[in-house]
Amino acid sequence: MPELYQAYGLTISSEIALPELSACVAPVGDPDVRIVHDPTVISAPIGAGWVQLSPFAWTGSAGFVLHIPDVAWFAVENGDTIRAAPIGGVDMASVRVFLLGSAIGALLFQRGLLVLHGNAVDMGDGCMLCLGLSGAGKSTLAAAFAARGHSVLADDVVAIDGEGRALPGIPRIKIWRDAAERLKVETATLDRIRPEMEKFNLPLPESLVDTPRPVRWIFLLGTHERQDFDLTHLSGIERFAPLLANTYRRRFMEGMRLNADHLAQCGRLAGKVHMARVIRPESGFDIDGLVDLLLREMAGAPAG
Amino acid sequence: MTGPGLHWLASYPKSGNTWFRVVLRAYLDGADDEIDLNRLQTGLIGSSRLWVDDVVGFDTADLYPSEIDRMRPLAYRWYALQDGFGGYHKIHDAFLRNDDGAPLVDPQATNGAVYIVRNPLDIVPSLAAHLSITLDEAVDVMGNPDAALANTARGLNPQLRQRLCTWSGHVESWVDATEIPVHVLRYEDMHGTPREAFAAALAFLGLRGEDERVARAISLAGFDRLVHLETTRGFRERPASMARFFRSGRTGDWRSTLQERQVARIVSDHAPVMQRFGYLDKDGEPV
Repeated sequence: MPELYQAYGLTISSEIALPELSACVAPVGDPDVRIVHDPTVISAPIGAGWVQLSPFAWTGSAGFVLHIPDVAWFAVENGDTIRAAPIGGVDMASVRVFLLGSAIGALLFQRGLLVLHGNAVDMGDGCMLCLGLSGAGKSTLAAAFAARGHSVLADDVVAIDGEGRALPGIPRIKIWRDAAERLKVETATLDRIRPEMEKFNLPLPESLVDTPRPVRWIFLLGTHERQDFDLTHLSGIERFAPLLANTYRRRFMEGMRLNADHLAQCGRLAGKVHMARVIRPESGFDIDGLVDLLLREMAGAPAG
Repeated sequence: MTGPGLHWLASYPKSGNTWFRVVLRAYLDGADDEIDLNRLQTGLIGSSRLWVDDVVGFDTADLYPSEIDRMRPLAYRWYALQDGFGGYHKIHDAFLRNDDGAPLVDPQATNGAVYIVRNPLDIVPSLAAHLSITLDEAVDVMGNPDAALANTARGLNPQLRQRLCTWSGHVESWVDATEIPVHVLRYEDMHGTPREAFAAALAFLGLRGEDERVARAISLAGFDRLVHLETTRGFRERPASMARFFRSGRTGDWRSTLQERQVARIVSDHAPVMQRFGYLDKDGEPV
C-alpha cells in the first residue's frame, strides 16, 4: 500500500517510503501526486518529440526523464506523477536524495510554480529566502535560523506560488559534518543522506508553519576574501537577474519550455520583495554574526 | 572566444598557470590598459563544481567523488559539443581516468592542452605557502601518489576533488597522454625566453598573432605589475590563508629557501622526470 505524505501543499501518495516527509494526517480526496516504483523506466527515451537537455536528462511532450548514473531513473509526468526505477541494489536513501531534489523540482515546475535553489525561513508574517551557489553557506544559515527558533519552510528546493508565497516543503535540512560541528549539532543520531557521505538529514520540528508564507526578503549569499560582511541593497531591475540565476535546475526548466512563464514569475516576485546581496568571509564563517545582520536588516526593512 | 572544443591550461599547482592566463587574457584583449586580475576568465576551471552542476543538471554536492569523476568527461563533452562552447580552461587534475576507464579530460571535448612544467624544487616553497603547510609537508605532498586538492569529505568545497598524483606522475600523465594534443611549456622558458615561449604556446592554442601583441601582453603581465595590482585591488583567486598570491615569480628561489635534505628528497623522488625536463644536469645535480 502506498503511504500518504504532504509537501509543497500537495498530497503525495508514494510506493517508496519517504521518511523525510510529513505524513498526511487528514487525506481528502485523491492525492495530488503519485510516486510509483516502476522498473520499466530504464533507458533514455527515444523518438521524435524527445529532446536531450544534458548528458542525463530528456524532455518531451510526455514529460521529463532524469538519469542519475548508478542510482536511479526518474520519469516526471503531467505535474502529478513520478515513476522511479532504482538501479541495481542501490540504497533507497540515495534514491530519495534525487527523488526529493531534482525529480520533485521538475514536478513543481510542471505544476507552474516558480522553483528556486535556496531556502525559505519563516519570519512570522512573511518569510525570507536565502539564495546562492552551492557552497555559499545557505543550508548552514538555515540551520542557524532554526536553532534560533525560526521555522525553515524549505531547504534546497523552494517553490513559490502565483501570489509570491513560499510553500512549506520538506521538513529537513541537508547539513555537512563541518557545518553541524560549527552549529554544535550532534550528528551521531542523524541519518546520513547517503551511506558513505558526511552529510546528514537534520529533521526540522514538525512543521510549525503549514500554510504558504509571503516572501518579503531575499538575500543572495556569496563569499569574498575579506574578513567582513558586505550587504548591498538591490533595487528595480537589479532584482530580476538573481532570481533567474538562482532558478532551480535552470537548464531543465528552460528545456521544458517553461521559460516565458518563468520570466514573468521572476518579474512579479522581484517587484514584491526587499533584496540584498550579502557577502561573507570565505573562511572563518561567523554564522551567528550573519544571522544577527540579517535579523537587523529585516527589522529595518519591515514587510511592505 | 573560440569555436567548439576546449583548450586546457594544465599544470601542477604553483607552476605558473595564473601567470600564463594573465598573458593570455592580455593577449586576447589586445589592449594597452592595465589587466584586471579579477576578470581573468579565459574559461573556467575544470574542477569547478558550478560548471559540472550546470551541465549535468543536478547537485554534485549529493554525489560521491567517484560518481563525479564518472560524470566529468560527459559534462565537458556536452558543454563543448552540444552547448557549442570553447574557451581556455585551467586544470590542476592529473590526466587520469575515472573508474569507467574514461579520461576525465574528455578527448572528444578537447582541442588540446598547454601543459606548464616547473622545476619541482621551486614549487616546494610556493606550494607550502599556498597550502599553509611546512616545506617538508610540501615535499611529502609532491611525493604522494594519492595527493589531491579539495579532498574533504566533511563539507562542501566549490572545487571538486582534484587528484594530483605525485609531481612526477602529474607531469608524465599529461605530457605522455596520447589521447589529446599537448604542448609542453617550461616555466623557466616563460622567464628566460618569454617571447618565443609564449608565442609558441599561443600558436598551439590557435592564436597566431603579431609579435608586438605577444610582447605587449607579456609586458602587461610583468611580475612587478601583478604584485602592484594584487596589493592595490586584491586578487580573488588568492587562498584566504595566504597573505599574497604573487610571491616571488623567480626561478631558482629554492637555493635560498630549501634545506639540503629537502633538495635531496625532491631529487630522489623525481630524478627521471627532472632530468627529462632539464632540471638536473647529466650528473644528477640540480641546475
